[in-house]
Amino acid sequence: MVDAFSAVFQRPNFLTFVIIFLWGFYIMVTRYNLVKKLIGMYLVQTSVIFFLVSISAKKGATVPVLLSTTEPVQAASYANPLPQVLTLTAIVVGVATLGVGLALCGAIYRQYGSLDEQEILEKLE
Amino acid sequence: MSHQLPAILYLLPLFAAISMPVVCLKHRHWSLPISVAILAAMVMVSILNLHNVVHHGEVRYVFSGWDAPLGIEWVADGLASVIMVLLSSLGLLGVLFTGPTSPKALGGRIVHYYTLILLLISSLTGIVFSGDLFNLFVFLEVAAISSYALVGVAGGRALFAAFRYLILGTIGASFFLLGVSYLYAVTGTLNMADLAERLPLLLNSKAVVGGLLFIFIGLGIKMALVPFHAWMPEAYTYAPDSVSPILAPLITKVALLAWVRIFFWVLNASIVIYDIPILLLVAILGILAAVIGASLALAQRDIKMMFAYGGISHIGIILIGIGQGNQTGFTGGIFYLLNDAVMQAALFFIAGMALCQYGVRTIDDLGRVGKKAPWLTGSLIIVSLGMIGLPPTGGFFGKWYIILGALESGDYISVAAVVLSTLLTLAYFVKLFESIFRQTTTQSDVQFGEIPLSFKLTLGVTSAAIMILGLSSSPIIQLLLNHALPPGL
Repeated sequence: MVDAFSAVFQRPNFLTFVIIFLWGFYIMVTRYNLVKKLIGMYLVQTSVIFFLVSISAKKGATVPVLLSTTEPVQAASYANPLPQVLTLTAIVVGVATLGVGLALCGAIYRQYGSLDEQEILEKLE
Repeated sequence: MSHQLPAILYLLPLFAAISMPVVCLKHRHWSLPISVAILAAMVMVSILNLHNVVHHGEVRYVFSGWDAPLGIEWVADGLASVIMVLLSSLGLLGVLFTGPTSPKALGGRIVHYYTLILLLISSLTGIVFSGDLFNLFVFLEVAAISSYALVGVAGGRALFAAFRYLILGTIGASFFLLGVSYLYAVTGTLNMADLAERLPLLLNSKAVVGGLLFIFIGLGIKMALVPFHAWMPEAYTYAPDSVSPILAPLITKVALLAWVRIFFWVLNASIVIYDIPILLLVAILGILAAVIGASLALAQRDIKMMFAYGGISHIGIILIGIGQGNQTGFTGGIFYLLNDAVMQAALFFIAGMALCQYGVRTIDDLGRVGKKAPWLTGSLIIVSLGMIGLPPTGGFFGKWYIILGALESGDYISVAAVVLSTLLTLAYFVKLFESIFRQTTTQSDVQFGEIPLSFKLTLGVTSAAIMILGLSSSPIIQLLLNHALPPGL
């Protein structure tokens, strides 16, 4: 038990990821306001992106730009660039999704005059 | 030239989608002919690609000269090429169907609509061909974003359905990305062929098992597998009539294909993780989906809703076939996937035509017009034969091979589930036909307008395709057996 806990606390990035992910999920499930749901959704996406970029970090490593072009490359002294690039793409995807979501929210508000899920469901009946 | 075909297939609709808003800014009516031309070209190129793959083996396309483990690789093998032919022809039919319904149903947003359709088709092409997990994720998301927008394009009640679809779809995508990053953290590679070499040695790692589970959940949401199907019926029911025939056959099936790619080509499908054979799990989920989906369809009164639940149950039947872990079951599952895509397209064409031409939304309305709508009733009879699975149609042969596969592996519960699901399908079509053919006394002399040519064309082609797929089932099955089987099955 203690071992499991200490293993968790040695990886603060995992812990942060789990907290943000569950927080976003909680907001998405419990809130009725559509914009708040979108905020929860964005937290979930951000937590996954955070996790992805955090696995590229190394102790004592620097940004993946070559320090010298003549010496052979020391992989240990650079952070892994691939997750960072993937993260950029994932951020773009997330922003696009959020944009479509906000546009839908705007259209729903113009149509029903409300952003509350329950009020909209009542009007739909 | 011939090895460039996958990239051409992707770039054709992509460039058309990008240039569409500019070209059609002044001339909105150009958007229909341009899309039809592009999609017709895609059909031809995809047939050429299939021919090429069948005769010269699979094509591995490498982008900008970066070889496989480092760069992004696309794999055009037999399975992908067959699905590609299906995808482009259903896209073409969907756009042809749209012609007359579009201005009214889409609220004047014609150019947006065609742009989104072409974007959707191009990203689905990417999903079908992609040999790289992260690339797959990006295309899944582009396809998903364009379908959220397509569902909501006409406004009205569909907006709320589109919003729910967006929330659930994004949860699915986040799970998928999480799974991909787990696998990347363990293996250090995203290329599927490379992963296929490294993963089997690492199956005891909790990170790999967790990653595979997250990928499974993510794609399960995208393919509307039963516990995760909540977004699908509403989104397809309230989407504009010209949108649902394109979304319904393609989105869930292509997500299923991506799943098949990962679990059969990357993992060896017969693996056992923590004493649980994966395929058994798949077959159980398939059984649940097949029975629950069909029972829910029986309870619906809205035609489109009924057809959407029917689609959920058919995803289950395909999974049962794939989950048997033998060649017969797998081929049957893929063959049924082809048939089911055509049948779903035909069903939503029928529902769209019923609503657009006759103002029919529920089963009770259908009784009002049934006898005055020969095209509607006629094609509905043919499609229902296929959905139930009666002999001359493709649906029969798909189910036949799935049941043969299940018998081969001695899984009698799966056989029972397919039969039960068939009976439930029969029940909801009987409900439909009962209302069409029941004599109703209040027959007024309402005159309906002339049926547009495009409706006749799309209904005729899909009905004929259901029959032709059945009549030529043995060469198609042979093609799938020779070229579309995963390694080691």
